[in-house]
Amino acid sequence: MFTAKYMHIYSKEDKEQHSFTMQGSTRRTGIMTDVHRRFLQLLMTHGVLEEWDVKRLQKHCYKVHDCNAPVEKLEDFINNINSVLESLYIEIKKGVTEDDGRPIYALVNLATTPISKMASDFAENELDLFRKALELIIDSETGFASSTNILNMVDQLKGKKMRKKEAEQVLQKFVQSRWLTEKEGEFTLHTRAILEMEQHIRETYPDAVKMCNICHSLLIQGQSCETCGIRMHSPCVAKYFKSNAEPRCPNCNDYWPHDIPEVFDPDKDREAGLSKSNRKSLRSRQLL
Amino acid sequence: MLQKPRSRGRPSSQADRDWGRGGDSRASRSGVAEEAPSTSRGAGGSQEPRSASSQGARRAGASPAAGPRSQKQLELKVAELVQFLLIKDQKKIPIKRSDIVKHVLGDYRDLFPDLLRLAAERLQYVFGYKLVELEPKSSTYILINTLEPVEEDAEVRGDQGTPTTGLLMIVLGLIFMKGNTVKETEVWDFLRRLGVFPTKKHLIFGDPKKLITEDFVRQRYLEYRRIPHTDPVDYELQWGPRTSLETSKMKVLKFVAKVHNQDPKDWPAQYCEALAEEEDRARPQASAPAASS
Repeated sequence: MFTAKYMHIYSKEDKEQHSFTMQGSTRRTGIMTDVHRRFLQLLMTHGVLEEWDVKRLQKHCYKVHDCNAPVEKLEDFINNINSVLESLYIEIKKGVTEDDGRPIYALVNLATTPISKMASDFAENELDLFRKALELIIDSETGFASSTNILNMVDQLKGKKMRKKEAEQVLQKFVQSRWLTEKEGEFTLHTRAILEMEQHIRETYPDAVKMCNICHSLLIQGQSCETCGIRMHSPCVAKYFKSNAEPRCPNCNDYWPHDIPEVFDPDKDREAGLSKSNRKSLRSRQLL
Repeated sequence: MLQKPRSRGRPSSQADRDWGRGGDSRASRSGVAEEAPSTSRGAGGSQEPRSASSQGARRAGASPAAGPRSQKQLELKVAELVQFLLIKDQKKIPIKRSDIVKHVLGDYRDLFPDLLRLAAERLQYVFGYKLVELEPKSSTYILINTLEPVEEDAEVRGDQGTPTTGLLMIVLGLIFMKGNTVKETEVWDFLRRLGVFPTKKHLIFGDPKKLITEDFVRQRYLEYRRIPHTDPVDYELQWGPRTSLETSKMKVLKFVAKVHNQDPKDWPAQYCEALAEEEDRARPQASAPAASS
């Protein structure tokens, strides 16, 4: 449920990310209090959260246990927890979504390969279905594999025979457990899964993986240069070509033929996110 | 201050089953961070967790069958064990010793008690979960949250909360108010009034009959038994061992009182019983430090 040695580092010049990784490697074990414990527990129930929700969660935990304590800077707070998690081969990793560049945090496992981690939850033929889907996604031009193409693989699966109907349900199970996400009948890797599996994917498919020309980490979906073929994550494109009227490929200098996405703006997102979370809490109150 | 003793998850016999060392002692907890890796240095096959205090004793007790394991290897095993327990606990199904050995320990099975104790220490210190043996000698384990749930948790969690807990509390309340055992037919008579029918699919609870008589039973919140010599066949429900570990009679009574908008004392018999349980649980608590020495 929780792997990859390298987080999806947004870009080399991003200072915040740099210090985040650097402090993570200093070997000083922090102190856990109930504030940290509740934070971890709640983060664990999600597996992955957007930065804004992580901050809300942190405030909530301080409120419950220690109103008077000054709220630690999120970065320090998480570094502290990570120093304790190190001996357990677990880490809270920060990454950004490949499509719109939202910062997210996920609890990832560094101990065993993610596929074997999944083994306790999925049967052999289900795991093989995931492997097939993963290969289709990595080999695809867009980073998406259609459900039709994935379902066409069911006859080749290892283990017990699987019917297409069952396979559809298994795919939904992968979506629920945040290994995959679905968009209009097409599947791609969930950001959380990329954070966990980057190392594994790079080692297992060294010839097929695509890398981002800007941040040099794994790329599943993004834009590519039609002349030289280099690829960039959409958020990396947004940052790189920000306020550039005539974007050109950083590799071959040819005209960049795609729309330039907007740089992710947390304040703008917060407004949208606030109304979303209001709806959410309303719904949960009705249930109770 | 934060370590105020809690009534939940602390029944009378728990001191014996408690894998977290020294119960709640603050000092031992803060020491765990340094201690955990260093105690795993010994290659010892010591079967008695508490006797393993000195490194020398552990080395002497090393089982010859198992080769020496590096501290790194042991640390990794503990990490795998911790993750395994966390993942399994999410489904709330008690974890069997045999599954731990099969899926995690493998060749390290001779170190089961040591590794389990180290994992329990980490779970308690890092996550606030206490590893508890479900019933004495059952070799079946569950995690008990040592942090009180607060209402706002659900809100921060969004819609990820478990609505089935509400139904469980209602059934637990009914069982307690009816003298700790209740016939299944009575449960459905009661739930029918709340719009929950045994055979009708429910929007939130799905298949209520399966939820109550199978899922909650497998999670060990409830015991479900056939009443002997009845015609037609009827079953009865009681609290399961997990319920007594995770909650208390007083908490359930308070829940029932809140639902009825009344005071727990309005049910004197149940109130006395719940009070007696609280006192009972508080007693071994006082002598707990002695047991951990």
